[in-house]
Amino acid sequence: MTDKKKKNVQIIPAQTELKRRTVNYAKGMDINLSPEQLMELEQVVQRSTDNFVRQIGSDLADTRQLVIDAVKDNGKSAIALQGCVDLAYSVKALGGTFQYPLMTQIAKSLETFILDRSTATKKQLLVMQLHIDALYVILASRVTGFGTTVEQATIAALAKLAERYGDPRA
Amino acid sequence: MSAKIDFSKISFLVVDGDKISAQVVFDTLAYLGATHVQRVPNPQDAFQILRSQQIDVIVTEWRLRGMDGLEFLDSLRNSISSPNRFVPVIMLTAHSEEQYVTKARDLGITEFLAKPFNAKALYSRLVSVITRPRRFINTDTYFGPDRRRRQVSFDGPDRRDA
Repeated sequence: MTDKKKKNVQIIPAQTELKRRTVNYAKGMDINLSPEQLMELEQVVQRSTDNFVRQIGSDLADTRQLVIDAVKDNGKSAIALQGCVDLAYSVKALGGTFQYPLMTQIAKSLETFILDRSTATKKQLLVMQLHIDALYVILASRVTGFGTTVEQATIAALAKLAERYGDPRA
Repeated sequence: MSAKIDFSKISFLVVDGDKISAQVVFDTLAYLGATHVQRVPNPQDAFQILRSQQIDVIVTEWRLRGMDGLEFLDSLRNSISSPNRFVPVIMLTAHSEEQYVTKARDLGITEFLAKPFNAKALYSRLVSVITRPRRFINTDTYFGPDRRRRQVSFDGPDRRDA
């Protein structure tokens, strides 16, 4: 190791002002929350579930229409793909938070399928539409948790379809 | 008596274009007692706030319109015009694969939280940035919180030793 290299490392002490200002023994939230407090906190998060269902329901309908339009006119496939990219990310990010981990799983499958694509063939658009339909059914039927063997089989089938029609990727 | 955090004394900035995600973070912070929480959809608006107000903690999504969360972090840590190079940043993202975590870490992220997240995970990241501030490392290629979070004994020479 050269001297020059050694001199180039500067270690700056931790900034403790925020800690000094806020950590105390009188007011605020316990640093170590009790199971009851954690449950209350989780309920706060779950308050947004209805908004999630409404928003994603609307996004699913809009994106489905984009895909249907692209099936009819392949010139619109890039727009449909962008819609699917946005939808897949939102559902993947939030599904599990609101007790819909199945939706997160399907969104991941959709995300993988459309990764690095700028166009899609008709069959590929239909695979995207099947993902959207599956998401819609889960949301509409309020299938929380990981579902039954039927739902898991559906996810496996979607993954197989995605693999089968993955190429060409452009 | 257990130690507490007075969240009313902390100013938060939430940068997230997804309304539901931003609302969840906002509701969680409000429940914890935070009274200074601002929400913006993109880094451009975030910089405007950062230039005019004191912000103690930033919670940002990776996927943002225009400049993404990683570019935002890079500007915060490395730009000479950065309003606050030391501000703690918690990054929320559904990009949870290892390469994304590594990339964020190497640009100076303070905490990383993979989506979908639960309240407990978000709270633990908040506690971490507030109660366990880390020293900063400044080298030719990195500026940010110390990435050596675990102190493991090592027989060889320490590259940081002068």
